[in-house]
Amino acid sequence: MRRHGAALVIFGAAALAPLVVRNAFLLDSLILILLWGTLSAAWNVAGGYAGQVSLGHAAFFGIGAYSAALLGTRWDLSPWIALVVGALLSTAASLVIGYLSNRLRGPYFVLATIAFSQVLLIVASRWRGFTQGSEGIPVPFRPGFWTLGFADKTTWVYLALGVALLLYLIQRYLEGSRIGYQLAAVREDEDAAQALGVASRRLKVVAIAGSAALTSVCGTFWAQYVGFVDPFYVFSLDLSVRFALAAIIGGIGTAVGPFFGSVLITTLETYLRATFGGIGAGLVGIYLIIYGCLLIIVVRVIPQGLAGFVGGLSRRP
Amino acid sequence: MHDIPQLLISTVLLGGIYALIAVGLTLIFGIMRVVNFAHGEFLMLGMYLAFWAFTLIAMDPYLVLLPAIPLFFLAGLATYALVMRGVIHASHNVQIFTTVGLSLALQNVALVLWTGDFRFIRPWYYSTVVRLGDTAFNVSQIAAFAVAMAFTAALFAFMRWSYTGRVMRATAQDREAASLMGIDADRVYAFTWAIGIVCVGIAGVLLAPLYPVYPTAGLQFVLLAYVVVVLGGLGDMVGALLGSLIVAAVEVVGSYVFGTAWKEVLYFLLFIAILLIRPAGLFGQRGAESLGV
Repeated sequence: MRRHGAALVIFGAAALAPLVVRNAFLLDSLILILLWGTLSAAWNVAGGYAGQVSLGHAAFFGIGAYSAALLGTRWDLSPWIALVVGALLSTAASLVIGYLSNRLRGPYFVLATIAFSQVLLIVASRWRGFTQGSEGIPVPFRPGFWTLGFADKTTWVYLALGVALLLYLIQRYLEGSRIGYQLAAVREDEDAAQALGVASRRLKVVAIAGSAALTSVCGTFWAQYVGFVDPFYVFSLDLSVRFALAAIIGGIGTAVGPFFGSVLITTLETYLRATFGGIGAGLVGIYLIIYGCLLIIVVRVIPQGLAGFVGGLSRRP
Repeated sequence: MHDIPQLLISTVLLGGIYALIAVGLTLIFGIMRVVNFAHGEFLMLGMYLAFWAFTLIAMDPYLVLLPAIPLFFLAGLATYALVMRGVIHASHNVQIFTTVGLSLALQNVALVLWTGDFRFIRPWYYSTVVRLGDTAFNVSQIAAFAVAMAFTAALFAFMRWSYTGRVMRATAQDREAASLMGIDADRVYAFTWAIGIVCVGIAGVLLAPLYPVYPTAGLQFVLLAYVVVVLGGLGDMVGALLGSLIVAAVEVVGSYVFGTAWKEVLYFLLFIAILLIRPAGLFGQRGAESLGV
């Protein structure tokens, strides 16, 4: 149980909160913390465990969000179908990035992922006939489980918690399984891993595809929860950076890191939004200044992230 | 057919400004082996410098260039000392996230200080158009092009013939050997970073009268600069110049044929195609991309 300690605290608190908290704002914050944490965890599968750092993951988030919006409004299909369609489309799209990951390393790969998400941003914001262009699309709210429309926040908390737990367990699996060890080998020294017979090329493609599909699933949930899809938000570089940010600050390549990072980042963000929203909206940017600086410090001083740092302290006798 | 001279001139004018942004980026990469993901934010700061100088003390953007050079040089030295020095020997990912963090911080400093509003500079020559034969172009565009080209040429000459330029190139070629010859690599990196920042800051000042000024204004230009720099081969200054012309041509011809809405798709597709077919760039060294150097 000890190695799950931090995760138990976070997920346990999230599970108990709706029993005592009735405040819609606090529940909303909780849902967002879980959702952003899950997204960072999905990023972590490729960026942390496989070492394929992408700044284009917003592409898959956007595909998931647009699947919900377009299938819901145009063909009146259930978000659950959109979830599967989005995940399949993202997996297909991720093959492009996966292929590139086998040809490019370091900054070249990062630049390619940025370009990839920018292409989707432009297509989504300019293809007016299909996506309604830069206006964005409202996602219809239809109450019921099959249509993923829940008026009360409590249901959303447990749904988000379920997805978060799933991602946590997937990451845990990656830490102790054969495929996880192989990924770590590829991440640390790809040539050596290949020499030992690890199918590094295929592994990277699989890790990126899995990461993309999970990101897309979260995108669908997010679109259903928020109810509106704006191309300049869902495909933005800011969003891709955000996925990476929480994972790195929390602890890249650790299972609890992305959730820990999300607790810190999302809490400060929602607090500033609530305090300075409306007239001083610009002041909300303070949290990103803090996190920009924190990112610079963390990658240099404690590359294992805050979760690893705190964990290291507590383990000392 | 009579549109061709106009397209040609638009391409060259646009390419000149892109070149100044890209040259700074490629210089930093060529010598320090760091891709500066905060490059666009210094462009944005240049735009804001021009905007505030114009709004507060009615200073013409082209006069702002004079104080801008030392200001951005100092800003470059400061960010190097505070942020970059510690990661110069670190892994790619650490360097990438350090500059991404810098970008995030600078972008939001601008947002907090000056809000997200679009701001514009309207000097008296704002809508002055020069006509030459069948072609017409904005006078600010010509001025920006001329200054950008003068700067780029000066930088080329500096890198080629000055002693410091040779020292910088020597460090880029072989850090160890350069250190053994008594070159202080840290000073070279600080200087390189500062020069790169000056280039992009100046480009920002020049672009301010032409484009709206807002906290994320740097993004669209820097994305372009990445395309240019990869096209020309990361670290290759002549390549950056040619790459700028190619990207400008794609943009100008693309908007002429397909309309302005789709031009960006063209150069991003060009970018991905280049990465797939010849990732070291048109003029770059083969194999550089798979080493990540």
